[in-house]
Amino acid sequence: QGHCAFTMNLERLPNEEKLTLCRKYYLGGFALLPFLWFVNVVWFFKEAFIKPPFTEQTQIKSYVKRSALGLLFWVSVLTTWITIYQHFRAQWGE
Amino acid sequence: MMSVSDSDEELYNERTALVPAQNPPVPSYRPDPELSPTEDSDNKTAGLDPGVEPEEDEEEEPLKYGAKHVIMLFVPVTLCMAVVVATIKSVSFYSEKTTQQLIYTPFSEDTPDVGRRLLHSVLNTAIMISVIVVMTVLLVVLYKNRCYKFIHGWLILSSLMLLFWFSFMYLGEVFRTYNVAVDYPTIAMVIWNFGAVGMLCIHWKGPLQLQQAYLILISALMALVFIKYLPEWSTWVILGAISVYDLVAVLSPKGPLRMLVETAQERNEPIFPALIYSSAMMWTVTMANPADGQRFETGSDEEAELNGGRAEPQSRCLRPVTEEELEEERGVKLGLGDFIFYSVLVGKAAATGGDWNTTLACFVAILIGLCLTLLLLAIFRKALPALPISIAFGLIFYFSTDFLVQPFMDNLANHQFYI
Repeated sequence: QGHCAFTMNLERLPNEEKLTLCRKYYLGGFALLPFLWFVNVVWFFKEAFIKPPFTEQTQIKSYVKRSALGLLFWVSVLTTWITIYQHFRAQWGE
Repeated sequence: MMSVSDSDEELYNERTALVPAQNPPVPSYRPDPELSPTEDSDNKTAGLDPGVEPEEDEEEEPLKYGAKHVIMLFVPVTLCMAVVVATIKSVSFYSEKTTQQLIYTPFSEDTPDVGRRLLHSVLNTAIMISVIVVMTVLLVVLYKNRCYKFIHGWLILSSLMLLFWFSFMYLGEVFRTYNVAVDYPTIAMVIWNFGAVGMLCIHWKGPLQLQQAYLILISALMALVFIKYLPEWSTWVILGAISVYDLVAVLSPKGPLRMLVETAQERNEPIFPALIYSSAMMWTVTMANPADGQRFETGSDEEAELNGGRAEPQSRCLRPVTEEELEEERGVKLGLGDFIFYSVLVGKAAATGGDWNTTLACFVAILIGLCLTLLLLAIFRKALPALPISIAFGLIFYFSTDFLVQPFMDNLANHQFYI
């Protein structure tokens, strides 16, 4: 009968759905997707830290923090790798 | 041999239309001011102010859209064109002559004879346009027969190709131009992240701005492919022909695009996801209240006409929706096909035209055309083709600038005569 469409405005989402979305983005990031973690952090930052507390906020906060950690991990790995690669490129003759 | 998949054709052929978003006659809570397109003085803020009768406002409004909506469309269109022009001017790959051609334009333009070249470009155009017509009709037939899965699969495949393959090619060329060495694992990570997040944002859920950014990027990528692989004269003839087709398909009663929209409206369904750029926010519809659902569908169908890139997917409706009142912000939607062809025009002008004068002239022409189209949209309040006016102006400006203004300016400069 009815149709649903998704709103991109987090304001209008009920809290449980915000949590679900945050969790899904967090879990998705494990598929070698640090960008997804980055999007998670930026998108839910306001919800997790700026807004007045609501029931699901603690969980959202934890997901955002974990996404940020994961992001940091990947950024350091990639930076290290790229530095190594660029430095030794000529020697490796690739 | 480079060939563009059919799905790419499909991507743009059915979205060259401009559609108004219908404001549902139900007052609901006020959306975020910075996100709302309804801050302008005109039209009804009925949807936003509780307690105001929408119907009266509807009658009083002479124009449904104001400057704000125009600006909201200017920005993405400008961004897309800017990306394309920047790439053309810096990465020579996309403006190099190539002997490869799309399978849709088999006739080469290598002949020195003008008449023959013209004939070849017209033939190329005929083939391309007939492919597009066939695709559109096929799409309408599929839609009428409710083969949604097939259509979804088709759309997903084409966005997969755009997000992964074309962007990989693009990155490769950019790195080659700037002589940056990048190793395969890094590239793989970058492309995988870009593509996967893009698929999620476009076809599933994601932040609005990111979705808009992705849609702009894939339109730019598609436009670049066209600029590279369509021969010069064929490009101009194709642009003209597709504007005419757009006009016919959207406005005439038997036009495929019009039939598509009408069918969608009859069924109260939104049209396809990921083909339309929307500047407004959409709100959740509840299944609990079919009346609301009705209103939403009507609105979104009209909107969908424009080809915006917002997904209004049926596929998203996988979970029971909560009891919220449906509200739709007024906004304008523009099809990705429009983005693509505007960018093709400006990009080709940048690649083959004299210098920046021509490019700027085309850019201004397209914006003027877009303004006029929006004005017409506000007056007529139904789905309109967004290509014809802009492309017509663009073509006029391109040819006149290239052949009249440019030599004039050069001559003036030669004689040190400044006006």
